[in-house]
Amino acid sequence: MTLNRRKFLGTGAAAASLVGLNGLPLHAQGKTLNVTAYGGVWEQAVRDCFVAPFEAKTGAKATVSLGGPAQWLAQVEASPDNPPLDVLIMSPDLAVLAAEADLMDDFTVEKLPNLAYIPQEFTDACLGKGTYFDYGVGGITYNKDVVAEPPRSFADFVDRVAAGEFIASIPSIQYGPTTVFFLWALNNALGGDVDNTDPFFEAMAKMKDNLVYWAGPNDFFNHLASGEADLGIYFDGRTWNHVDEGVDWIDWINPEEGGAITSVAIQKPKNASDLAWDYLNEVLDADNQAKFAEILNYGVTNTQVEYSEKLAARVTPLSEANLPPYAEIARVRNDWVDRWNREIGM
Amino acid sequence: MRLSDWALWVFTIAFFIFMILPIAVVVVISFTSAGYASFPIPGWSLKWFARIFEYEPFMNSLWVSLKLGVIATAASCLLGVPAALYLSRSRSGWATAITAFMLSPLSMPMIVIGFASLFFLSRLGFGVSFLSLVIVHTVICLPYVIRTVTAVYRAIPPAYEEAAQILGASRLTVFREVTLPLIRPGIAAGSLFSFLTSFDNLPVSYFFGSAQTNTLPVVMLAYMEHQFDPSIAALSTLQLVFAVVALVVADRLYGIQKMTVAT
Repeated sequence: MTLNRRKFLGTGAAAASLVGLNGLPLHAQGKTLNVTAYGGVWEQAVRDCFVAPFEAKTGAKATVSLGGPAQWLAQVEASPDNPPLDVLIMSPDLAVLAAEADLMDDFTVEKLPNLAYIPQEFTDACLGKGTYFDYGVGGITYNKDVVAEPPRSFADFVDRVAAGEFIASIPSIQYGPTTVFFLWALNNALGGDVDNTDPFFEAMAKMKDNLVYWAGPNDFFNHLASGEADLGIYFDGRTWNHVDEGVDWIDWINPEEGGAITSVAIQKPKNASDLAWDYLNEVLDADNQAKFAEILNYGVTNTQVEYSEKLAARVTPLSEANLPPYAEIARVRNDWVDRWNREIGM
Repeated sequence: MRLSDWALWVFTIAFFIFMILPIAVVVVISFTSAGYASFPIPGWSLKWFARIFEYEPFMNSLWVSLKLGVIATAASCLLGVPAALYLSRSRSGWATAITAFMLSPLSMPMIVIGFASLFFLSRLGFGVSFLSLVIVHTVICLPYVIRTVTAVYRAIPPAYEEAAQILGASRLTVFREVTLPLIRPGIAAGSLFSFLTSFDNLPVSYFFGSAQTNTLPVVMLAYMEHQFDPSIAALSTLQLVFAVVALVVADRLYGIQKMTVAT
């Protein structure tokens, strides 16, 4: 059998068609917008609450990429002149890094009329290159069948866990937001600050014999369900999601000192499609956000949003929680992780 | 039976139970009637298997994973088999170095390969695409084909091929009639490992994920982080069934024993 040029080209064409149209690189251009979402119920909520009204108003299409902020930021960093994504869902710390690297566009009321209803501090926290649209609060989730009198504050939590009254499930350093919603929050409650984390590490040393660690949110629930832990540090919205799924034995408390606000940021990469502004405006819209909050059991940031009675009783008011200084934390985060690894190791 | 034989038998059974129990728990949880993962389960239901077929990203990403696994495995065989045949018989000092280089993806953290490949392929214009996924998955699958084919081919005496040539067979006929049938268990073992490596890969696929190119493990991770229902357990059970069926088919076609020897 001989392989002539025609056969070679034919084989090449067949291979190319096998790879299919998906073989072409994805670029954020034209009348199709590439947006992002976390998986599961989150993705469905993004489609129903933001993509659907965007498509209805603009006539454009939006594809939803599932994944996580680190993945999306790497993809934009790899192709800053022609980013494969038009809208990024970001964690607050990565939003700061992306803004500092000048990879994102500025958010202004001229481009996004609904930005006028978002507290300015949330846009400032993204250095003006993004804003927060959704938030949860890290507090104390406990098993009602085991814990009759739960701790009402972080200080009480530390004392009673250290005394052996409870086994607590706390986030390990493998979980990205741990440095903020647990380390910073507990340290702040115990009198520390960004440059002095001694109160946190002293508290951990006192509690160490009565702690188990969760690497992902599902681990926490398993710790409580299996009886391995009695209570722990967890998010309000995730707790209410469990309750709605039929778990009637858990409850959540916002500690008296106030839990840390853990937000979800949105950003638009530079050189992404201008259609992204229309989509982002839908994400910041009060009606759309109210619908989104109802599905996910988390608070949203538009000040015009009116929650249902059920959700109003669940969402932690912003005034009762603390906004972590993400930019400052980003500066010292590596030192915190290093100290955690040396002194705690999990 | 001697005491040591009894001890070995008990140890083997205990180790088997230790290995199989966590998998068995996941399989049981996939049949739960509860809305969340817990063990023991309160009742039996197939609803989480139905959920897999209802949730569109699961099915789309399953198709991407299957397509990717097949193409990356085929590409690995096309590149890896000729390379393995040449490197096995070569007496050059370079052959050892080149073999080590071609096996090097096995010793590199996958996340480093994924991250570096994203930037490299983006600079080349491939970007976040299915073609990029095929290229990177071929790189990580190639060592399995080279390793298994090399092991089998080195065990075959060169006299077999020489005898065929002396009897007048052309190089192509020697390859088709003598070499290929003898190295087939190596190719089968390498292909099986390649496909399963590609199908299960998360760290590399993660960096090339998009609405069109997300693989099943990427979607499973994204789902697990924000959903608490047992559909991931149901999906894991299906994957387990799929892997067992693949092994049984491979056993029927080539014999697991021969493939184990090849590795």
